[in-house]
Amino acid sequence: MNEATLHARLAGSGVAGIGALDTSAKDPFVVVEADTLLAALAFLRDDPQCRMEMLHNVTAVERPEAMEVVYHVCSLTHHHSLTVKVRVPRPEGGTHASWIPEVPSVAGLWAAANWHEREQWDLLGVRFTGHPDLRRILLPQEWIGHPLRKDYVYPTEHGGMPLELDAVPLYERRAGDPAPEPKPPREAGTPLFQPPAPFSTRPEAAGGKTAEPGQGGGEH
Amino acid sequence: MGVLNNTLPDIAPVKAVDGLIGWGRGSSIWPMTFGIACCAIEMMAVYAATFDLDRFGAGVPRATPRQSDLIIVPGTVNAKMAVRVKRLYDQMAEPRYVIAMGACVCGGGPYVKWGYNTVKGVHKIIPVDIFVPGCPPRPEALMDGILKLKEKITREAVFARRAATAADMEARYVQRPVGGGAGA
Amino acid sequence: MEALELYTVDERADLYTEELRLNLGPQHPSTHGVLRVELRMDGEIITGSRCDIGYLHRCAEKIGENVSYLQFTPYTDRMDYLAACNSELAWSLTVEKLLGVEAPERAQWLRVIVCELNRIASHLIAFGTYGIDMGANTPFFYAFRERESIMALLERPSGARMLYNYVRPGGVAHDIDQAWLPDVLAFCDEFERRWAEYNQILTTNKIFIGRTANVGVLPREMALAWGCTGPVLRGSGVKWDLRRDVPYLWPYEEIEFDVPVGEGTHGTLGDCWDRYWVRMREMMESVRIIRQACARVPSGDFMDKNLVRQYKTPLKPGKGEAYMRCENPRGELGFYVVSEGGTSPLRCRARGPSFCNLSVLDALLPGCMIADGVAIIGSLDIVLGEVDR
Repeated sequence: MNEATLHARLAGSGVAGIGALDTSAKDPFVVVEADTLLAALAFLRDDPQCRMEMLHNVTAVERPEAMEVVYHVCSLTHHHSLTVKVRVPRPEGGTHASWIPEVPSVAGLWAAANWHEREQWDLLGVRFTGHPDLRRILLPQEWIGHPLRKDYVYPTEHGGMPLELDAVPLYERRAGDPAPEPKPPREAGTPLFQPPAPFSTRPEAAGGKTAEPGQGGGEH
Repeated sequence: MGVLNNTLPDIAPVKAVDGLIGWGRGSSIWPMTFGIACCAIEMMAVYAATFDLDRFGAGVPRATPRQSDLIIVPGTVNAKMAVRVKRLYDQMAEPRYVIAMGACVCGGGPYVKWGYNTVKGVHKIIPVDIFVPGCPPRPEALMDGILKLKEKITREAVFARRAATAADMEARYVQRPVGGGAGA
Repeated sequence: MEALELYTVDERADLYTEELRLNLGPQHPSTHGVLRVELRMDGEIITGSRCDIGYLHRCAEKIGENVSYLQFTPYTDRMDYLAACNSELAWSLTVEKLLGVEAPERAQWLRVIVCELNRIASHLIAFGTYGIDMGANTPFFYAFRERESIMALLERPSGARMLYNYVRPGGVAHDIDQAWLPDVLAFCDEFERRWAEYNQILTTNKIFIGRTANVGVLPREMALAWGCTGPVLRGSGVKWDLRRDVPYLWPYEEIEFDVPVGEGTHGTLGDCWDRYWVRMREMMESVRIIRQACARVPSGDFMDKNLVRQYKTPLKPGKGEAYMRCENPRGELGFYVVSEGGTSPLRCRARGPSFCNLSVLDALLPGCMIADGVAIIGSLDIVLGEVDR
């Protein structure tokens, strides 16, 4: 069955809150309400015509207006798949530190969701209610912040380990060292390291075109 | 040997003994089986038959750091792993050597610009003897690095004095604990 | 298991036992990378396990949001560094879906050959390191001898031994030389003879069978629920291969090949030996695919002409999102890319097969002995670059 037929079947299943099939993006997807997410996905898993045995992927996408959680489910018996989305709108002034959107967890339906949801909690700060063990999976447990947020500021060190390119090595630090001078706070979205501009071998006097600084080293 | 290190005058008999010990150490550098990422596969290729490392005496990898002389760090070190790398290095007994293999541990590699939790070069954590750049370095490059390390070890002065005063030695070679001495 | 009933607390009331906490740490010869498993044990039997990953987390998804589409191709290499071309292929197909282009015919067939060669190389490492896990050191050297031949072959078109940056959105990066296809066919002939040797060394070895049969049995429903794909799923008897069922490259529809599944030959269906034997037979199927593909490579462009012109400036696919999945040697690699029209994606998510295959470990380990635990980790054939990204 293709996505249109699957969507028709899902819409006719009696579960409320199923949106229309959105085909404006390259891959069609269905937007579902957060309250009826579990019922909709359970229908997709158990209905004999859909039989989505495998949850392939759980992704969270941070958009300016909402946080989307995208579920890719696929069926091995029927060779079809469907993309289901849930949107949690961003409240006024919902920034990195303050906003933790909540979405029900599907770990009860597919065991695969366990680790996927832990990863999205770790990297994007989406709390999955009902998850058996929601803690960080990729980053250290004491890490602060959710790195894939758009307003994430990179840390300078963690757990005593320096994370900067110009940090003083651990074995060269002495007890009486003066504290390093405080650097200006880093902005979100800036890279940790800017490579130096490529220099041109042709002198300007010869009339050759010089590379402008900031072109970047062969940025494609 | 520890109490005699760097104490004897720099005369010919001492230098000869140094040379003998250096030759012995350099010809049997036992690395630790430690693989982090992609460079570890090229390191395994160096141990394997085509680029055999055993013929240089370095083909007895020890699983435990307490019995190994060399730690080759292949692959990106991130914040979580850095604590373990430091602990492994601390567990090694002197004389111990470090080869940083790969662009990631030489200076951050491809993850230097946008990696939020990668350590930009393992020399920020442990003192490195040889840097082998490449992504990943060819097995020949790693072999070249190990042979350069062998040269370095052979030329090392074990008994002959390397510094003027004991205070200078202490300042140069004694390591401070992580975080306690940093103040940063 | 008989071993569990041997000494129970009731029988040996005079024996005082305590739970042992063992750390199968990130530095370990048998964890296939920097994987940490916290084990709770009763003597030699594992009663509980907790996987701790993230020791190779290299911020690939954040990097994907900041570099351009072509610049991200080398980072996909480094995710599954043993099957670099397959990972690049998944990324390239996703970007091509967003752009709405298709690679030319010659590029498609070259992609098939290069990806299947990489599949053989990856399964060779699985075979060699599995031997080391079991205590057999010889297969490792044989595997790396064959890997050197494959890497020499792949170095000729791409320029690199391991992390190729060869399969790019729009086609492949460089053309092959005249003698490449005959050399690939010569390698196939050579490899078939060596494969028989591997079976003599390891597959039919009584000790190896004793250590892997009936160990780590993964039932079909559990594999599907935990999202396992690839040889882990096929070892449990599920005949599912994306190359045959949802072909992502149309040449796969024109090539004849079988999909090996586990049959419970030496023990229960879905044990470690079945997964290992699926990988061994897949190497032979890959040889079959390569032979047919080498005969079919047409002349023509190796990269889409419009895209080559466009590569002078960064690619801008336009608003949209795409999800493509490909059959990697370890399972199904999926890339979910959301583009808002800029030069970098808004979200670039890699669904690593090893990530999902590894999640089943916490359910498989309890109840078996520590040596069997090592066999199970080896049979899942994980690559930590893909688990942690």
